[in-house]
Amino acid sequence: MMKRRQAVERISLILGGALSPQLTAALMGQVINQGGSIQITEAQEALLAEVADVIIPTTDTPGAKAAGAEQFIIRVLRDCYELKDQETFYTGLAKIDEASQKAHGKAFVDLSPEQKIEIMTDATKTNKAFFKQMKQFTQVGYFTSEIGATQALEYLPVPGKFEGDAPLQPGQKAWAISR
Amino acid sequence: MPNLNIEAKKANTYDAIVIGSGVSGGWAAKELTEKGLKVLMLERGKKLHHVADYEYAMKAPWEKKYNGQLTREQKERSPKLARDYPYNEMTANYWFRDQDSMYVEKKRFDWYRPDIVGGKSIMWGRQCYRFSDIDFEANAKDGIAVDWPIRYKDIEPWYSYVEKFAGISGEALGLPQLPDSEFLPPMDMFFIEKEVRKRLEKNFPGRNMTIGRVANLSKAGEAQLGVGRGPCMYRNQCSYGCPFGAYFSTQSSTLPAAASTGNLTLRPDSIVREIVYDPETRKATGVSVIDSQTMEEREFFSKIVFVCASTVASTAILMNSVSDRFPKGLGNDSGELGHNLMDHHFRAGARGNWEGDLDRYYYGRRANGIYIPRYRNIGDDKRDYLRGFGFQGGGSRQGWERNVAELSFGKDLKDALTEPGEWTMGFGGFGETLPYHDNQMSLDKDNPDKWGIPVVVFDAEFRENERLMREDMKNDAAEMLESSGLKNVKTFDNESYPGTAIHEMGTARMGRDSKTSVLNKHNQVHAAKNVFVTDGACMTSVACVNPSLTFMALTARAADFAVEEMKKQNL
Repeated sequence: MMKRRQAVERISLILGGALSPQLTAALMGQVINQGGSIQITEAQEALLAEVADVIIPTTDTPGAKAAGAEQFIIRVLRDCYELKDQETFYTGLAKIDEASQKAHGKAFVDLSPEQKIEIMTDATKTNKAFFKQMKQFTQVGYFTSEIGATQALEYLPVPGKFEGDAPLQPGQKAWAISR
Repeated sequence: MPNLNIEAKKANTYDAIVIGSGVSGGWAAKELTEKGLKVLMLERGKKLHHVADYEYAMKAPWEKKYNGQLTREQKERSPKLARDYPYNEMTANYWFRDQDSMYVEKKRFDWYRPDIVGGKSIMWGRQCYRFSDIDFEANAKDGIAVDWPIRYKDIEPWYSYVEKFAGISGEALGLPQLPDSEFLPPMDMFFIEKEVRKRLEKNFPGRNMTIGRVANLSKAGEAQLGVGRGPCMYRNQCSYGCPFGAYFSTQSSTLPAAASTGNLTLRPDSIVREIVYDPETRKATGVSVIDSQTMEEREFFSKIVFVCASTVASTAILMNSVSDRFPKGLGNDSGELGHNLMDHHFRAGARGNWEGDLDRYYYGRRANGIYIPRYRNIGDDKRDYLRGFGFQGGGSRQGWERNVAELSFGKDLKDALTEPGEWTMGFGGFGETLPYHDNQMSLDKDNPDKWGIPVVVFDAEFRENERLMREDMKNDAAEMLESSGLKNVKTFDNESYPGTAIHEMGTARMGRDSKTSVLNKHNQVHAAKNVFVTDGACMTSVACVNPSLTFMALTARAADFAVEEMKKQNL
């Protein structure tokens, strides 16, 4: 995948190198409306992955970041949500970083695991709407990812039969496709 | 030049034209081709090859881009379809672009139009129940609308006939209000459903809970194997299209049967503008068609026409078929065409949770639910409304989609969601609606769609009888669940608009009298005997059961009659 900076450079080339500061900023992923979608920065993407990974962390199975849950979230927001809802979401995301800077003088991604949990716990109170939406997104993004579905859950693409009453085996995980 | 015209007409002439390729059109094509007729099946939607074109059928969850959600673009192109779940990421390409023919709603109507060969037989719910004499006699007994011109005995052998080919899984109960089908083995019930069934039998004699009767092959017999179908794999992704041909659809079942005769010509992208009527012979001569892609117009000719375009589309075609003889639409001497529009009303019921039994689970995904046949206004039961409802629903254990402790996150959340949740169970009613004359559709002649055809206008609503019935749906569901031991039982009424159940029916009803109905007892247009309407448009009342099986049986019956009439030179 082409990195955003390379893409911007390529566009600069096409346009003859004379980009306005505003357009450069826009292409670099500041909040702008492009066909109804917010283009997000690499930094926002990294923050999103980190927040998702606090919601569903690596345990005996890989967590949300390893599963690429943030890519699902970015895609759904970009293609399925109205611009104002995208703005609300990314404003909520930015508040996570603001809270980190205020409390620890660091970006969220640079915090220790304990500090991340502290900021997220705080967010359940001070940034509740964002937290709930982010949790829902992460849950779906993770458990429908290949890692989530096949490692954290039991993936059974073609059951071949149906039994409505079967004992739950010790340690048996929930079905990845449950309906 | 005249010779050329004759040659061109010959090339465009068939024994029969079937308009539509869904459940009804597929059956018409199968029956007529198997009886030796050269058949042209016209479908306004695009090609959809069996298996090869089922894009999402074998996709893993992580291969879906949005976990089923629609994109903004998909919502914009079909804003009315986007109001409900059947139009989703996996099926989006199967449905129509509302923007190409934006229908008018004097009152809300959800019109689910497909855009593919096979029609809604690809995305349908597959529940199959017979009507009974309680249904066929209802209008006459209640003194409303008109009497059905047929009774159960007239359709019974045709139910058997279509069931043996389609393959219906279910359990025989021997109930007068819900006659048994020719059944393949019933599917299993979930643990919780078996528990609830036991308690219902004890607490509510007369209310029977059974496994859903469904057009999925619990076992493939010779009739099904013969057209290349296999048994159900219990993936429950039917509406994406089944790569195993395990449920009945045009593509899996009737189309291969019709095609194997060598008598079928299938023409997708073909929008029927009108049926052409000859006042001298007092018969239709054929249809005029617009190619949906090229806009090219042409005419096809035939001895008989089967109109199976789906309830609303079939009636719209008849309404648009205007001539000096039929200024209000083909066959509309009675003025009833477009009236008596019905659907089922649903989405009212109750659900609850079951405590314990967390050491029990299940295997596979059953593409089916449970069914409680109608018990209201049957025998000695008398309510303050007419007719009744059946319950559909079921139980299962919650999956990872559930909400656990709202503000939890981290390892605890993850661990909780990797385990199955509680057992839950719910019932939702499917209720009969009455054939109100004022519930109607019409054409907006000043409002042409992309192809220059007038758009449809809907003016229909549910009324007091339905509203009263919904109270019983909620309360009965709740009392049955509570008495069966479910906890935290809550009723729901998520509202239901005409069309939402996708069981739209009526608008060209069958009847005994040409002054008050459009079709006779053989689904023949009273005043144009070689035109047959055998889809939902023909229905005189709607019972409370899913109707597709009845469309199949009526279509096979009408096809048999039509061919006999042709043999007798009556058509």
